[in-house]
Amino acid sequence: MGVQRAVLGAQNVSKAFFGNPVLRDVSIEIVVGRIHALLGENGAGKSTLINLLSGTLTPDSGEIRLDGQPIAALTPREAHRHGVAVVQQELSLAPHLSIAENIGLGSYNRRGGLIDYGRLAASVEEIGQKLGLVESPDTPVDQLPLGRRQIVEIAKALFIKPRFLILDEPTSSLAAPDVATLTKLIRSLRDDGVAILYISHRLNEIVDFCDYVTVLKDGAVTADRPLAGLDPEGLVRLMVGRDPQNLFPPHVSHASGDLVLQTRRFRTAAAHDIDFELHRGEILGIGGLVGHGQEDFMMGLYGAVPANADQFRVSTHGREARTAPFAKVADANAVGVAYVPADRGKEGLLLPHSIDFNLLLPLFARRSAEPRRWAEEQAITERMARRLNIKGDRRRPARALSGGNQQKVAVSKWLPLEPSVLLLNDPTRGVDVETKREIYVALQEMAVEGKAVVLLSSDTPELVHLCDRVMVFHKGRVAATLPHGEGTEEAIVAAAMGVRKAPQGEAA
Amino acid sequence: MGGKGARLYWRVQWRRNDGLGALFLVLVLFAILYAILFPGIFAIGAASKFVQGWFPTAMVAAAQTIVMLTGGIDLSVGPMVSLGSVVAASTMEGPLGIFGGVLAMLALGGGVGAIVGAFVAIGRYPAIIVTLALSFVLRGVALLIMPRPGGFVPRSLSDFLAGVHPTAAVLLVLLVIVWKLYQATPLGVGLIAVGDNAEGAYRSGVNVTTARMCAYIASGILQGFTGLYMAAKTGSGDPLIGEPMTLAAISAAVLGGVGFLGGQGTMRGALAGSLLMSIMISVMFFLHLPLVAQYIMQGLIIVVTVALPLIRASMRRGT
Repeated sequence: MGVQRAVLGAQNVSKAFFGNPVLRDVSIEIVVGRIHALLGENGAGKSTLINLLSGTLTPDSGEIRLDGQPIAALTPREAHRHGVAVVQQELSLAPHLSIAENIGLGSYNRRGGLIDYGRLAASVEEIGQKLGLVESPDTPVDQLPLGRRQIVEIAKALFIKPRFLILDEPTSSLAAPDVATLTKLIRSLRDDGVAILYISHRLNEIVDFCDYVTVLKDGAVTADRPLAGLDPEGLVRLMVGRDPQNLFPPHVSHASGDLVLQTRRFRTAAAHDIDFELHRGEILGIGGLVGHGQEDFMMGLYGAVPANADQFRVSTHGREARTAPFAKVADANAVGVAYVPADRGKEGLLLPHSIDFNLLLPLFARRSAEPRRWAEEQAITERMARRLNIKGDRRRPARALSGGNQQKVAVSKWLPLEPSVLLLNDPTRGVDVETKREIYVALQEMAVEGKAVVLLSSDTPELVHLCDRVMVFHKGRVAATLPHGEGTEEAIVAAAMGVRKAPQGEAA
Repeated sequence: MGGKGARLYWRVQWRRNDGLGALFLVLVLFAILYAILFPGIFAIGAASKFVQGWFPTAMVAAAQTIVMLTGGIDLSVGPMVSLGSVVAASTMEGPLGIFGGVLAMLALGGGVGAIVGAFVAIGRYPAIIVTLALSFVLRGVALLIMPRPGGFVPRSLSDFLAGVHPTAAVLLVLLVIVWKLYQATPLGVGLIAVGDNAEGAYRSGVNVTTARMCAYIASGILQGFTGLYMAAKTGSGDPLIGEPMTLAAISAAVLGGVGFLGGQGTMRGALAGSLLMSIMISVMFFLHLPLVAQYIMQGLIIVVTVALPLIRASMRRGT
């Protein structure tokens, strides 16, 4: 229509941290009216590219361009003024401020020097309706669960009425209905003339509604093309240059008849009357929408939240070890029950400490009063690093690792204790494809060794392809228990949504 | 401000009372005890005197809170108050006069605050180190200007600020109003956001440096004014008068629910905390407790009041 097309772009940008090149000669153009997917494994440079486009970082060379004009020294403030909004993975919310204050933060309308609360209230209401943000706007953000905070973060990006909207894994912590709302909203934003850059590890989402894709690998662009004609497998090939068939190792059940853990009417605050059996060598999946009691159930099993049960039996190393729910985490560890939390930064690892130290931590807990045995420790960490393919100097702080590698450390640190039950809370959330595959292989190896693995996951294909059985939670109860083969994606999602009650439903 | 907007503002402010219940309860109990022990408090003169006793603690608690909300801390509060009292007592007689002297005091406080702010907000030095170092410098300067208590504050100023009038109470009300207004500005909200999540605030477009800088300047002005007030109250300058105030300010803020990590806490909480400390000290004085016992009681009450919400939270989790 004669109007110049709005474009946000990077032109041959490079960026290095401490001499490590993270982006090399990258160009990208985000154009109005299209949903642009940015793909790449963890550590491929996606976050850095976003930070350059939004002014949080400045490129070492190359330039950021807005509507064709190069912009020197872009700051987040400047970027906001030009209508660039970012929804980051690490939330930019102030937890002690209210929802409304957070949504307007940095971009309040003023009236006589004061914040125009009238307009703020109106905007928050309008955006809240679009996003399904039902919480009262005066609620402090720290009282919201993670998924709801993510919604606030998205609302905050919409508040500035962006021309360019960058979304970094916006769905990684969202419940399914919210994902659907968001998807619809993104489409309507595109139709209203917003340029969207969308980052996600959920390839189905990308194939579903993106128009264009740029793939980063090791800091360089390896593909930049319309999405038409690509399926998820094709995307994976672009990302890793390998066929995705072997993303999941072939399913072989190693479950034996020996019960390791058994409960009758197990109860916690959010999980009710769970009957549960776990066998040696079994990989048991736990599915369900976020916040339906499955996480509480797992924490209860581990003794991290108070739990009750009519019957609770743990048998490890061939003998009965316990007949009541664990009162504390140390009790669980003592009989070989280990837990890998979802939030590896906060609960799984001590980020400022070395990789070695993190790997050895559970071992230290067992040998608290003994002198360190340096040589033995070295041998142990060496072996673990090789097994999990963690490269480089292990004396680096754990913070230096990419998210995927951090997760590998969080999982493998329990191995020297030879746990008999491993509880994993969404181990592949926000992890790239390559690391996912490595984690899957590691889980299978554990099953082969006779360990029992409980895998709570928000990634349904994992439950389908990896697990011997899948328990699906709905409203704090087990809605279905599906053996491998019957636990198709449709069956799991249907049970999670409370659609069907019976474990086996007739084909719809 | 439209009805809807005003409602949002007050609802947001009201929600900040969460967790302050225990403090307010303890405060009311002590106030009742105080009123029983000393019924004369309800006379205007006695009430004014009481507020005058509370006022300096309230001011330094407010000054400390502003800084702590940004995630910083100020260890130079006491020496700054001392310096203020010394400077006030040695300038008022000169050509500046009362009005000029007051302005000079505020400028001094703001100036020192700006120096701290420059180091912390721009230079990114840790506030605890900068203000610890500064506390020695300020103490030295105060002693240099006035090696022993002395100087002179005009009688009229003393009468105005610390006489029979409830000036101090009015000033406190003013402080609260100004703070409420500040909390309704982008900069005021930014102050909490910066303490809460500095990186996030920066990415949201908050001017982190300005927010921190303003906090330190405002805090410095309050501290300088406290110095002036102390001089007016005693009629002279004293280079050591502020010494106990550094810890008093931190105690009152912590008692009021202000967190060390930034972003957490409220001005009303800090003021209530300082009031509780004042009442406590008076009550224990009336009960003829020995000084040592008073110190121990103060410490215990701080621990208990701070611990109460935590204990309640853990009990709630247990059921």
